[in-house]
Amino acid sequence: MNRARDSRPCDRPGSKRFVTVRKTEKMNALVALCHFCELHGPRTLFCTEAVHPPSPSPPQYGSAMMPDREPEGERDGEGLTMKANSSETHRADMCEGCRSLPASHPGFVSVDSETGIRYLSHQHPRQPQLFSVVRQACVRSLSCEVCPGREGPIFFGDEQHGFVFSHTFFIKDSLARGFQRWYSIVIVAMDRIYLINSWPFLLRHLRITIQSLQSTALQVFEREQVVCPQRRMNSTFSPAGFPHQRSGNAARSLTSLTQHADLWASLHTSFSWLLKACGSRLTEKLLEGAPTEDTLVLIERQTEQEEEMNAEGGSVAQDSQPDTTQERDFLFGGDGKDEEPLGPKFKSLRHLRQVLGAAEFRQLAWHVLMGNQVIWRGHDCGFIQSAFEMLKALLPVGCVRVVPYSTQYEEAYRCNFLGLSPDVQIPAHVTSSEFMVLVEVLNVEQGSAYGAYTDDLLSLYQFSISSANTQPTDKGPTLLNKLDLALANENLSVDVVSHCLLCLKEEWMNKVKVLFKFTKVDGRGREDTQKVLALLGATGHGEEDNVRLLKFWMTGLSKTYKSHLMTAVRGGERTLSQ
Amino acid sequence: MAPMLLQKLFNKKAANTTGGARESAADAENRWASAEFDLAQIRLIVYQDCERRGRQVLFDSKAIRKLEPSELNVDETKTPPTRSGACQIGCKAKPKEAPPTYQYTRPSSDVNMLGEMMFGSVAMSYKGSTLKIHHIRSPPQLMISKVFSARCGSSNTGSTNTLQDSLDSISQTCPSHSSSIAHSNPVDMPGRGHSEDSDSGIARSASLSSLLATPLPSPGSSYSSGCASSYQRRWLRSQATSLQHGLIPRWSTDEMFSLSDESCSSNPGLGRRKKIAISIIISLPEKEEENQSFQEFFFSHFPLFESHMNKLKTAIERAMIVCRRIAEPSQRVQVYLCRVMEALGEFRMTVWNLYMAPRITEPIWLTMVSQSAERTQLCQRFLKEMSVLMEHGAKTQFLSSLVTAVLMYHLAWVPTVMPSNHPPIKAVYHKHLSHTVDLLAKCHPYNPLWAQLGDLYGALGSPVRVCRTVVVGRRRELVQRVLYVLSYFIRCSDLQENSLPHTQVDSPANPCPSQITNPTPCPERTNEKPFICESEAAKFTLNPGRTNKKTLVADADFSDPTSSLEVTSTEADGSESPDSSPFLETANDRLDCAHECAGGAGLECSSANPSPPMHKVRFMIGSPNELENYSQCPYQCGRCLHRKMPSRLSTGSLDSSDEEEQSHGQTCTGNETQQHELPLPSCDMELHLDVNHFGRSLLGGYSPQYMPDFVLHGVTSDQRLKQCLMADLEHTVLHPALDEPVAEAVCIVADTDRLSVQVATTQRRVCEPGQIGRDVMVSNLIHTLLTSVLQLHALNMAADFCVMHLEDRLQEVYFKSCSLAEYLSGQRRVNVKELGLALGIESNDLPLLTAVASTHSPYVAQILL
Repeated sequence: MNRARDSRPCDRPGSKRFVTVRKTEKMNALVALCHFCELHGPRTLFCTEAVHPPSPSPPQYGSAMMPDREPEGERDGEGLTMKANSSETHRADMCEGCRSLPASHPGFVSVDSETGIRYLSHQHPRQPQLFSVVRQACVRSLSCEVCPGREGPIFFGDEQHGFVFSHTFFIKDSLARGFQRWYSIVIVAMDRIYLINSWPFLLRHLRITIQSLQSTALQVFEREQVVCPQRRMNSTFSPAGFPHQRSGNAARSLTSLTQHADLWASLHTSFSWLLKACGSRLTEKLLEGAPTEDTLVLIERQTEQEEEMNAEGGSVAQDSQPDTTQERDFLFGGDGKDEEPLGPKFKSLRHLRQVLGAAEFRQLAWHVLMGNQVIWRGHDCGFIQSAFEMLKALLPVGCVRVVPYSTQYEEAYRCNFLGLSPDVQIPAHVTSSEFMVLVEVLNVEQGSAYGAYTDDLLSLYQFSISSANTQPTDKGPTLLNKLDLALANENLSVDVVSHCLLCLKEEWMNKVKVLFKFTKVDGRGREDTQKVLALLGATGHGEEDNVRLLKFWMTGLSKTYKSHLMTAVRGGERTLSQ
Repeated sequence: MAPMLLQKLFNKKAANTTGGARESAADAENRWASAEFDLAQIRLIVYQDCERRGRQVLFDSKAIRKLEPSELNVDETKTPPTRSGACQIGCKAKPKEAPPTYQYTRPSSDVNMLGEMMFGSVAMSYKGSTLKIHHIRSPPQLMISKVFSARCGSSNTGSTNTLQDSLDSISQTCPSHSSSIAHSNPVDMPGRGHSEDSDSGIARSASLSSLLATPLPSPGSSYSSGCASSYQRRWLRSQATSLQHGLIPRWSTDEMFSLSDESCSSNPGLGRRKKIAISIIISLPEKEEENQSFQEFFFSHFPLFESHMNKLKTAIERAMIVCRRIAEPSQRVQVYLCRVMEALGEFRMTVWNLYMAPRITEPIWLTMVSQSAERTQLCQRFLKEMSVLMEHGAKTQFLSSLVTAVLMYHLAWVPTVMPSNHPPIKAVYHKHLSHTVDLLAKCHPYNPLWAQLGDLYGALGSPVRVCRTVVVGRRRELVQRVLYVLSYFIRCSDLQENSLPHTQVDSPANPCPSQITNPTPCPERTNEKPFICESEAAKFTLNPGRTNKKTLVADADFSDPTSSLEVTSTEADGSESPDSSPFLETANDRLDCAHECAGGAGLECSSANPSPPMHKVRFMIGSPNELENYSQCPYQCGRCLHRKMPSRLSTGSLDSSDEEEQSHGQTCTGNETQQHELPLPSCDMELHLDVNHFGRSLLGGYSPQYMPDFVLHGVTSDQRLKQCLMADLEHTVLHPALDEPVAEAVCIVADTDRLSVQVATTQRRVCEPGQIGRDVMVSNLIHTLLTSVLQLHALNMAADFCVMHLEDRLQEVYFKSCSLAEYLSGQRRVNVKELGLALGIESNDLPLLTAVASTHSPYVAQILL
């Protein structure tokens, strides 16, 4: 199964980071066993290739190319072994020594259940475009390249024909000229650097394969020599030209030389393992950035919901449903267009600002950022909900508690966004509180006009904003001042503004973290706190509002983060003092 | 050996000056190579293979003697590296002296064999350059050869031979003798022009080639396809090197060997065919362990070796061309030998430095990644050193400008601060699998070493730029402090090696374990225990337990019966990093499980019912289930990775290719019979941390000599730097060690004596004389970032927290770059004032933010450049 990302939390420079361990599971390569046949010259005997599961590559690749690439004569639908051998004449030119699997053999396959990669072995590569590549590698390794002592590793290749790591070796044969036959194992890849990087690994393991074949064949050879030591000399052999030599059973198969009945199955296993092991030889360990606080809070909420669901036997709290949708959209940058309700609604913060008016918007946004309760009261619950969708973007997710539409007043500790139907009475202690702002949405009697847009909203509704607050709302916080500028600048698209808002929120969230650590974890005094506020750039113009904002936002920090600071970092300090 | 002794002295000195205190930056570097290395271990042979004249040795450093007026028989190679730590080249350092005189002696007995190895026994008609590596057993040597087709000028038909004529008089001509190896007819290797040759069987589709082959950069031009984040780089690499598309030459290597400086339209196919081979032969250490260690180093660092070989080749070309203008034969040979020897000297020195130079032993970032136990101490030390630097260079904002430059060019920090967004909201599993990136990385292998090299050189942006940083200064501690601090900002992934556990008795590479009764011990296999045969051959192929299945213990909240099946995961030992913390454990395990569920569902069919092996199992390629499962993957990857990609790329190369695969699958199933299914042997691996990787090797320490390979290092003086830098940078663009086209090469030069930071680049040449590059503009973002982190530190905030805050602030820089990218996507013209007012981006932040944005939104560079 998919273990691709092994993300785990761990204490990191940024302390809460995900580590990603990436390990590729095979090489972009194939392995082939080649033989220099006394009768037919260099031949590919056995080839193991890895086939990916369908991959993300453009459609025009394959549809255009794959069929074209099959060499002539390969579509004859014969057995695979023969299929790749491209022509009738070649087939006639095969002897036992040039063959691995019989023509009727379907080949071997191993599946890596984790990745779906299939390792296929046949006499010739299954992928037609690789046939000639392997053929070239085979011919070069056995006929062109020179290795001192004729046994050993060579790397060769070029961009045109691919790159090859080849290891030539002899196998004992009591019937062969010089009592030995010449073989090579080639590994072909396009990524020459990767192949060269893998040299020590490949050499180490190919030697195991080769020595195993050699010593097995040596035993067979010794047994045969005991039985009939003169055999080779008896067999007729014309030194003039090997291509014409076809007599007797001079060309023996590797199976016969090793007396290993399941040789090809075993080689398939070895080669498949080699490809896989070479690919996973190096593990790359990467660090990723920590998830944002918003992400963490959403994860926590999701967990809580699941736990509740499990506890309550699957019933989901009604009012959390729309929230989840919204959170998902927030996280993934989706715009939720697919579930757009009909009717008038706010499209963006800028839209909201245009409809309410700049000063009114500023006042409202100020209350939102300060953590005051924002109540919208009106007939159209969908419309009110859309206002909340816009406004809550001003806050970290952890600071948002919405009761979208209720028939009774809900206390401020339960929600900072509250939608009420027009007939609901708000208690007097609330209406007189400076920590509340009320937006009354009054329908203008002009009949229904669905699909209304910006200007038309005002023909549908009238808004009246009221609050017992006496503080000025036009000084700060700094975040709002900057956001106001961005919203006012029509040159900036809505998307740019939301990116801008994201930056501002992250910037202030980072200040919140410092303040939290400083005051709540370390419990530092007022004087020091003032220093920290100064270095965070929270002092000066609008300082009071900035501090209020920081304190409110502190309540929105994820539990994960808070507990991390309480434990891990403190723990770190303790170790330090020891 | 002289270098060794000096090296030890150097280290001792380093330890003494700092009193061996652990917390000082000065001892943070040490000798790095485990083996000794002598310049004489490197031999150069230049060989010519001519149709008419056969093979000739054009140069063999083993057969050359340096004649000096005083000492006649001193071999050039015996000259010890000067001073400590690094070795210097004689010729350029002492330009006033008369050039040395060389004598060509009797060629060594092995040259014929070596020539045979270089050219092969059969002439090949392939026109491009080829690369070969041979391992020679005795004496143990590695030979790296590049064979080029020679390009001869039209006018100098006669003069081409003058050098050879001269050399003929001093070296023996070796006739091209026929090989002892029986071989078939000459192999026709078609040149690149004949790509549809029936022999190659490759019909390259133009569209595919153009998509996969990154265009070669032309100065000043920018291109969009070679772009992007680290993830995307890896993906593109995997695609480019995949065998499944057949062989597609990735970029032109139609490199030839010029025997003439005239750029005439040569046609090497006609007339004489001539090939030139350049071979570097490295004698391997006698001791097996040192031999092993050098080889590990060599093969893992091959791209750097190759890049220097290319440089050597260019020098040899020049030498041949220049000497041909000299009429007098003996003088001609002298000039030739002198020039080639000088180039070889430089090559030897570079290799020696690469292997032997001091390194930062504990680069902060990598150490934090690989071992979290010492994190707190590391953070403390880092902040302490940074504070000192901040104060030291306060007047010129030295640290701020240096960090600005480093963050701007060594861009690998960006992915390390990009927030990871994989919330386990079940409903969206199938919609947004951001982790498909990793599934992709897994199914589509790339070379981790290559990825790491790119990270270190900062080749993440678009257009691709590679960068190095050199810190110059006479005050050792100061330079080392700077290096140490920068080792936090210059980032890359950590690499670990998985190898067969020593306890494993049998290697899966052994195809006939049961038949070996008397395994021959193999001298080269030092790290492996001799394998002991298993009683039955079938055992390891049959035992399903060997496939390394480990069942993750399902978390409490994952006890949902529907998901329990999916929690079974195959996990390699390697992924269990020792440094996990309790923090976020729960949430994260859930994430793991979550994506396993999402990605693994379709694979169930293959893994859930392990069929008894050796039974004939019907296995259909491209079964509907499998295709269905994977069909969602490509779209996802395209989406989450390439949100900002220009439409051409995203629709062209990144979208789903289900059609192709399906059609291929159908073809396969059409004529495929049942295959024998065999189980895959386990990849039980042990982790090794001491890998020869670039993160450990290319972060250099304080060296007396400028070195061209290092991502980071310190030098005493900028004298040689000034001499070589531009040539080195241009070489980097022409022959990038990165094995992919590079648009620009950059070097950040920080001078701790003058407290200046300059950037030299191949794109904008220096205007002011005496300057190495342009001064760096301090980004206000970075300056305030560093200032507030250090102020927090000064307020006695915990070091861990300060570093956490630093990371948060870097993340802010990333978010700002996203804003900028978004702003630019709708804008043709940049209004700097508007940026400042609305986005809080000042003009001095723009270069940095543009560079950062180019890693995720390649179009940014096009708009701003």
